Amino acid sequence: MLRFTVRRLLYSLPVLLVGSFLLFWAVRTVFDPLLKLRAIRDPEVIARETERLGLNDGIFTQYGRWLTGFLSGDWGVSSRTEGSVRPMIESALTVTLQLLVWGVVFATIAAVLIGVWSAVRQYSFSDYALTGLSYLGLALPAFWFGLVLIQFLAVWPQQAFGWDKPAFFFIGLSSPGQDPSFIDTARHMVLPVLTLTVGLVAVWSRFTRASMLDALSSDYVRTARAKGVPRSRVVWNHALRNAWGPLVTVVALDSALLIGGLLVTEQVFSIPGMGRLFLDSLLAGDVFVLLPWMVITGAAVIILNLLADIAYGLLDPRVRVA
Amino acid sequence: MRPLPSQARSPRSLRVWMAGLAAAAVVLAGCSSGTSSNPSTSSSPATSASASTAALQQGGTVVIGAEQEPDCMDWIASCAGSIWGSYMAQVTTIPVVYNVRKQGNDWLPQISSIMASEPVVSAGPPQTVTYKLNPAAVWSDGQPITSADLKYTALQIRDGKDILDKTGYSDIKDIATPDAQTAVVTFDKAYAAWKLLFSGSSGVLPSHLLEGKDRAALMKDGYTWSGGPWVIEAWKKGESITLTPNAGYWGDKPKLDKVVFQFTADTAAAFQAYKSGQLDALYPTPQLDAIDQIKAGIPGSKIQVEPASGNLEALWMNNAQPLLKSVAVRQALSYAIDRNAIVGRIYGPLDVKSPAQSFYPPLLSAFGGQDFSVYGLDLAKVVLLMTADGWAKGADGLWAKDGKPATLTITTMTGNKRRELMEQVLQQQLKAAGFGLTIKNASAGDIFGKILPDGTFDIGIWTLVTTFPDPGLSFAFDSGNIPSDANQFSGLNYSRTDVPGLNQVLATVDTATDPNIRLAATQAGDKLIAQSATSLPIAAIPNVLLTLDKIGGPTSINPSEGPFWNLEQWGLVA
Repeated sequence: MLRFTVRRLLYSLPVLLVGSFLLFWAVRTVFDPLLKLRAIRDPEVIARETERLGLNDGIFTQYGRWLTGFLSGDWGVSSRTEGSVRPMIESALTVTLQLLVWGVVFATIAAVLIGVWSAVRQYSFSDYALTGLSYLGLALPAFWFGLVLIQFLAVWPQQAFGWDKPAFFFIGLSSPGQDPSFIDTARHMVLPVLTLTVGLVAVWSRFTRASMLDALSSDYVRTARAKGVPRSRVVWNHALRNAWGPLVTVVALDSALLIGGLLVTEQVFSIPGMGRLFLDSLLAGDVFVLLPWMVITGAAVIILNLLADIAYGLLDPRVRVA
Repeated sequence: MRPLPSQARSPRSLRVWMAGLAAAAVVLAGCSSGTSSNPSTSSSPATSASASTAALQQGGTVVIGAEQEPDCMDWIASCAGSIWGSYMAQVTTIPVVYNVRKQGNDWLPQISSIMASEPVVSAGPPQTVTYKLNPAAVWSDGQPITSADLKYTALQIRDGKDILDKTGYSDIKDIATPDAQTAVVTFDKAYAAWKLLFSGSSGVLPSHLLEGKDRAALMKDGYTWSGGPWVIEAWKKGESITLTPNAGYWGDKPKLDKVVFQFTADTAAAFQAYKSGQLDALYPTPQLDAIDQIKAGIPGSKIQVEPASGNLEALWMNNAQPLLKSVAVRQALSYAIDRNAIVGRIYGPLDVKSPAQSFYPPLLSAFGGQDFSVYGLDLAKVVLLMTADGWAKGADGLWAKDGKPATLTITTMTGNKRRELMEQVLQQQLKAAGFGLTIKNASAGDIFGKILPDGTFDIGIWTLVTTFPDPGLSFAFDSGNIPSDANQFSGLNYSRTDVPGLNQVLATVDTATDPNIRLAATQAGDKLIAQSATSLPIAAIPNVLLTLDKIGGPTSINPSEGPFWNLEQWGLVA
C-alpha cells in the first residue's frame, strides 16, 4: 500500500507543476495585474509596479519567481485589499470546508441510504419515486432552491408561529455582535448545507443505485444468498462494500470541485468562502488572489483524486496490485 | 472623478458608475423636497416628524444589511474605492472640515463641528485658505484635532503614493500652521473647489498617531481611533463591521450601544432577512428586484424614497463615432427617445417619473438648469433633422445616407437588469424613429478598462455619481480630457465631447472663486451641452432606505454622505 501511495504521489507532482504553470500562464494572459492601479491614472505608479513585479520578464521567469514565493509561503499581496493573500485564502478555505464537510457527510449518508433502498427495491414504486426526486434535485438551481428553503424553513414558520427570530438564519455563519456558540452556528449552517446537499444527494444516490445493482447481480452475491447468508448482511456487507469504490471516487472529485464551486450557495447565504473570494477577486481583476486561488482549488482536485485512489485501493486490493 | 465599475467612490466629487449606482438619498422625512414612501405597500410611510418624536431608549444594537464590503479602510489610498466603506466607517469615524447639509432646497457644504469658523479665502494670487479649528474637537484618545493634522493629511495626499485622488491637493504649494488651531493653505494656482479639501473622500487624519509610521498598514484593516461619534470595534472580513460609541466624542453621543453592518451578497436573501428581523435596516440599490420587493410591500417597515440623489444615469453618445459626429443626428436621437416613458417604466413604482433635464444631478440642483427639457418624444422633429442632414428612410424603415443605414450599438455592464431593460425600451423607441440599435454589453472591467478609453462604442449607459456639491464638469466634457496619447488615455471625457466655447466655460467653473461667476458659468455650460446634444441625461437614480418600525430617530438619506450620516441620532423605540 505504501508503494502504491508513493507511486501515486509521484505521478501527482508533475501534474501539479504543469497545471500550476498553465494556470499562471492563463491568468497572466487574461488579467492585467495593474488593472486597479491604472484606474488612479498615475504613469509613475504603473512604471514602478511593472518594474517591481517584473512584468516585463519572460513568462517562465515570472512563473519561477511566483512559484518560489508560493512554496515559501509568500503568496503575494492583493491588489484589491492590499492585504496578504495567504490569510485571505486560508480564511475563505476554512469557511468553505465547514460547509463542505457537513454537506458531504450528510449527502453521503443520504445518498447511500437512498441508493441502496432503490437498488434493493428496483422498479418498485419507491424506486421510481426516489428516481424522480433525484432528477428533481438535479434540476433545482442552487440560487432558487436556497431562496425556497429560506422561505419554507425560515420565513414562513417564523410568521406562522409568531417567533421573534427565524429557526434557521440565512445571512452569514454567525449572528453579528454576539459571541459564537454551537447552537447559533448550527442555526446558520442548516440552510446552506441543505442547499448544497440536495444536488449532491441526487447525483450520488444514482451512482450508489447503479453500483449496487451491479454488485447485487454478481456471482458472489448469488453464492452468498445460496449459502443462506441473511439478506441484510448480503446487502450491507457483501454488495455495498464492492459498490463503495465508484462512489468514493465521485465523492472525492465532486468535493474537490465544490471547494471552489460553492459560489452560488455562498452568495445567497452571504458566506465569505472560496466562491465569494473568487467572485470578488474576479470582479476586481485581482490577479494576485486569483492565481493562488486557482492553484489551491486545482491542487485540491489532484489531492482528493489521489485520496480517492488510495481509498479505492483500500477497498479493492486488485487496484493496489495493478 | 473617474468612471468606476460598481458602487465605488471616485476620487472627486463627481463619480461615474456603470454598474449600478449607489443609492443615496435624502430622507423624505427630513427633507422637504423628498417624497416619502411607497404608496402601493402596506408599510408605514416615513416622515421625519413621526420618526423623531418617538421616544428612544438608550442602548441596544442595530444590525444593518450592507451590500458591499470595503476593500480597505485607508480612505485616501487607491484601495479605498467602496462607497459603502465610506458610508459605514469613514463618515462615522473621520472628521471633515465640511459636511453636506440641506439648506432650503439645496444640499450645500456646511462647516463641521471641528471648525471654529468658516474658512477664509483670499483669491490672491496666490490663493490661500485659512482654517480655524475648534479647540474642543478631540480624537478618541483625548488629543486635540489640530492644524498639524490638516498638514499631515494634505501632505500625505499630495506627496503620497497610490493615492485615490490628489485633485486639489496636488495644487497645494504650502501649508503653514502658525498655531495649533490655525492652518493656512497656499495654492499654486486658483482652485475653486477648495471646499473639497479635508472633506468628501479625504477628511482629516490624526498626525500624532500616524506621523512617521506606515499609514497604510495602520489603517487598511481598520483602526481603533476616531474623530467622529463612533469607533470601529471590529471588522470581520467577509462578515461584518461593528461600530461602538466613541466615548471621547465632543458632540452628542450615540444612543445605540452598537451598530453592526452585516454584509449581504444577495438582494433577495437580504430582503428576506430584513422581513424576518435578522436585519433592522437596508439601503438597497434600486435594481429591478429590489424595486419589486418594495412594491410588494414590507409590513412593519418604514420605506423612504429620495429622488433627489447625486447619481445621474445618462445615455452617453460617442461624439467621435462617424454617425454621431453630426449634431443633427444626436439631436434627432434625443427627440426619438421618450425619456418620460423610460423613467416611468423603471422608477414608476418608486414614484419617480420625471427625467433629468441637466447633467447636474439633484445634489447639484443649485447649479443646473432645465436645458434638456426641450428634448421630448417628437418624431416630426426627428424627420426634419434627419432629412435636413441628408438622410432618407429606406425600405426597411431605417434612415440611410450614402448607402449606410443609421444603426448603432449600445453598451452597458452585463448583468445590470435595470439598464438591460432600459436598452430594450430604447431599442423599440429608436426603431420606431428609424434607427437600428444593437445591444452589445460587456463586463465592467472591459468597459472601463478598454471600451471607453479606446472609444470603441457608439452609445453607452453609465452613471455620474456626485458625492460633494461642487459643480466641476470639465472631467467629462472638456475636450482636453478626451482619452488620448497626450493624457496617456487617462482622460474621462469618454463621450469625446468637443463643443466650441465649452472648455472656456468649464475652466471658469474650475477656477473662479466668486460664486456668482461660477454659477453663471455652470449654467452656460449646461446650455452648451444641451444645445449640441452631446449626450442625454435620463434620470437621477432614487435612493431607498428601509428601517424597521423599531428603529427611531431622524433616519434619513444624505445624498452626499449616505444614509448613516446621523447614525448617532438613531435609537430603538422605547
